[in-house]
Amino acid sequence: MSEIAQGFGLVFQSDVLLAILFASIYGLIVGAVPGLTATMATALLVPITFYLPPIAAIGAIISSSAMAIFSGDIPGALLRIPGTPASAAYTDEAYAMTRKGRPELALGIGLWFSALGGIFGTLALMALAPPLASMALRFSTFEYFWLAFLGLMCATLVSRSSPVKAIASMLLGLLVSCIGIENPAGTPRFTFGNTNLLGGIEVIPALVGVFAVSEVMRAMLTAEPPKPERRRLGSILAGQWALTKQYPKQQFRGNIIGVLIGVLPGAGADIAAWVAYSVSKRFSKEPQKFGTGHPEGLIESGSGNNSALAAGWVPALLFGIPGDTITAIAIGVLYMKGLNPGPTLFTEQASSIYALYIIFILANILMIPLGIAMIRASSHVLRAPRASVMPVIVLLCAVGAFATGNNLFAVLTVAAFGVIGYVMERNGYPVAAMVLGIIMGTMVEQNLVTSIMKSDGSIIPFFNRPVAAVLAAMTIAALLWPVAAWGLKRVRAQAA
Amino acid sequence: MQLSDRVTGLFLVALGSVAAYGGSRLPPVPGQQIGPEVFPMIVGISLAICGGLIAAGVGRRYENEAEAELTAATAQTEDAPDAAEPSPSRWRELWVLLPPVLLIFYVYVVDWLGFLPTAAAIVLVTSLALGARGRLAIPVAIGAPLVINLLFLQLLRVPLPSGLLPLPWIGLP
Repeated sequence: MSEIAQGFGLVFQSDVLLAILFASIYGLIVGAVPGLTATMATALLVPITFYLPPIAAIGAIISSSAMAIFSGDIPGALLRIPGTPASAAYTDEAYAMTRKGRPELALGIGLWFSALGGIFGTLALMALAPPLASMALRFSTFEYFWLAFLGLMCATLVSRSSPVKAIASMLLGLLVSCIGIENPAGTPRFTFGNTNLLGGIEVIPALVGVFAVSEVMRAMLTAEPPKPERRRLGSILAGQWALTKQYPKQQFRGNIIGVLIGVLPGAGADIAAWVAYSVSKRFSKEPQKFGTGHPEGLIESGSGNNSALAAGWVPALLFGIPGDTITAIAIGVLYMKGLNPGPTLFTEQASSIYALYIIFILANILMIPLGIAMIRASSHVLRAPRASVMPVIVLLCAVGAFATGNNLFAVLTVAAFGVIGYVMERNGYPVAAMVLGIIMGTMVEQNLVTSIMKSDGSIIPFFNRPVAAVLAAMTIAALLWPVAAWGLKRVRAQAA
Repeated sequence: MQLSDRVTGLFLVALGSVAAYGGSRLPPVPGQQIGPEVFPMIVGISLAICGGLIAAGVGRRYENEAEAELTAATAQTEDAPDAAEPSPSRWRELWVLLPPVLLIFYVYVVDWLGFLPTAAAIVLVTSLALGARGRLAIPVAIGAPLVINLLFLQLLRVPLPSGLLPLPWIGLP
């Protein structure tokens, strides 16, 4: 009990609360501007969190990402352009509602069910993490190896692309993680005699490159998004309570889908929204109304993407395996702040974990007033010319990467990964899978090598420990699933 | 920079093979069964296999399905802003390299030129490239570097190189 009180004590301090407030406003603005994603908001925030105390840093990351996922709905509803990828699944539905003259209803659904979904996701995090932590305390390197491997495979299964390309992206990330001397043998690998590469590729500059620079590169070719017309919006929250009572099943199902997909490594809010929307349509009593400004799908997927965000922290806190691209960045911040992910975090730093829960709840409550203010201000924010926003992003990429290590080589890393990210995206290679590979490469290798040394070169212990065996079976199933699905289709096609 | 699957696949085959070969030449650690060469070799060989499968067109169907779903989702409303971009010419596509080139420019110039002029140049070029008039680009190019410099210096205590043009006020390092 005293730890909960300590958690409150950690959060309710002026610097933490100020960090949450400013990060929230920042997240709302970045999320609302088309072309600037929630992941980009988080990546550009990291250099700033370097200089904040631990809880304030975590608070800033949590609140800015939660707000950005919601405010991606704003340009979706007003302009038919998703502000973040997590809003893409239901942009058309929301825009159809605006065309019917009810933009405030579409935006209100986004806001209200985002906040509720975020709170549900937090409750799921609170319920799931402690029992998993006590189980994970008994894990050895064999289990960790399979867990990391399974995490990598999950990321490839759920990507909206060819599974072969997703696996290739993931392997590319693993290859990047090989660079440097951070391997069990301490041998310099692929450094080409460059001392800057000895320490390996730093994760944060790579992420800034992949998620921010490549976005600016894309903007160089695409036309400027249209500006919204000025309109008077009615009450944002009117009617939301009635909708909550009318569609309780959809909301609950959306939350559950969000949690399940959030917990899966590498799959985050954007995939949760796609899945929730299609599930909603499939089980709806009135599927013909979907796409015409019908609230059902909006409720389900709006609930889903925000609950996925919180649930993504489950594997991140427990195992250091990112649940999505945002927690991939957050893990870096956790390490930096001495809150190393792992099951012992829940016993040794319990008050910090409670503080994290409290920040999540607080951020989702704060989302409602700040979100209403943002919706009211959106016609001004969305009018900001892109030619004034993107140059500042380039500048922040340079300065932010430099600030992470007072090292100009990091800026070169940013540029290189910007190009890599852009080329991959253009050719259908999911960058999220590569990011996961970069982050988890060291973990996979470390556990593989340590396990083989422990077992004296035998691979039997990888399979004969009960938990390891289950994880191994799941991993192999994930690996073989695309092949099996392909084969099954082949057989059916021949039979027909 | 849209390339065919054959090109990207074969590139991955080459990259994976080079990585596996480079890995195999790493010195083993005496007395250890598994040295630093194993992991890069596994990754390199798997990457080469994946590259081969991609070049052969395996998995293309999934992409087509996802694409079809996306176009179906965005093609319903009729008078909505047109999402489809005309495919840009090869020459025009080189513009995308501007942001990374500017970052490289930053790395090699910032120490002697100083943060403020370098940053101003980057902002100005990016802004003009995105189609801004001078009326917008010049104020942003002057204002944004000043604000960012102040933010990093005062709030985060990260000094940025002053070079030829230090911050134009006294009392600050």
